[in-house]
Amino acid sequence: MKKKIVTVPAFIFLFILSIFFYLLIIERDTSELPSNLLNKNVPEFKTESLIKNENFVSSNEFGKEIILVNFFATWCKPCRDEHNYIKRFSDEKKIKIIGINYKDDSKKTLSWLENLGNPYSNIAIDQRGKIAIEWGVYGIPETFIVNSDGIIKYRHVGPITDKVYNKINLLIKEIK
Amino acid sequence: MNIRKTFLIILIFSLFQFFSSISFSVEPDEILKNQNLELRARNISKNIRCMVCQNQSIDDSFAPLAKDLRILIRDKIIKGYTDKEVYAYLTDRYGDFILLKPPFKLTTLALWFLPFVFLIIGIFLVFFHNKESKKKY
Repeated sequence: MKKKIVTVPAFIFLFILSIFFYLLIIERDTSELPSNLLNKNVPEFKTESLIKNENFVSSNEFGKEIILVNFFATWCKPCRDEHNYIKRFSDEKKIKIIGINYKDDSKKTLSWLENLGNPYSNIAIDQRGKIAIEWGVYGIPETFIVNSDGIIKYRHVGPITDKVYNKINLLIKEIK
Repeated sequence: MNIRKTFLIILIFSLFQFFSSISFSVEPDEILKNQNLELRARNISKNIRCMVCQNQSIDDSFAPLAKDLRILIRDKIIKGYTDKEVYAYLTDRYGDFILLKPPFKLTTLALWFLPFVFLIIGIFLVFFHNKESKKKY
């Protein structure tokens, strides 16, 4: 009995320790939270478009083909860092990309796109951050994959890197 | 140290604690004129996690997203949302993680019950250890 009293708590302790150790060694970003909108319809919203002379109406944009949705701003350094990857999705992979310009200056954004290139087929202006909240965004840049039924299939928080670029391409292939 | 001095130190420490906990993150332009609605908004905000800082409520946080959420909560309250509807709106978009107090669900059972399980195991171990010690001496 006495032996059990010592071994059982020790076993439980080791078990909990191994869980913590496992969580430490697996590759994961503790700051990245899973999206609650996965496998749900894209939020409906209507706002001004930055590059078209008509309103941006979400129901007109989604539900026809696979779309990447990218929340960005000119004041966000990681957005600049990932811009080349966003362009590659558009130029090389021919994927439709919608930008959501988060709390930004429209003039600055237009000149930013002129300098770096515009991969977006349309850009919604989110002046007060309300669209970002609708999408459960908590820090830009964030990128979503929306399938041809208008359902959110993936969310990435932070800038797109080589690894993320390949992962998104794989996911798009799977979704197709 | 006499009792007076001790009392004074405790009083100063308590006042320091009290004032340091007062939050000035809610800006004047956010505050609703209707005090009841404002009180409801403050109570909700105290239970909502700042997704940027993560260990603060949006009521305490200076992050821009926290401010946006505070404004949004007030907008919803003005539109006639109940507290439950406001919480549902936020958890629909950010998940249960946005709630500072995790809800009682099947998936959070371990979170709620494990501390009690460990407490009982601890009490049992101490009790058993005492019994064994008494036997020895």
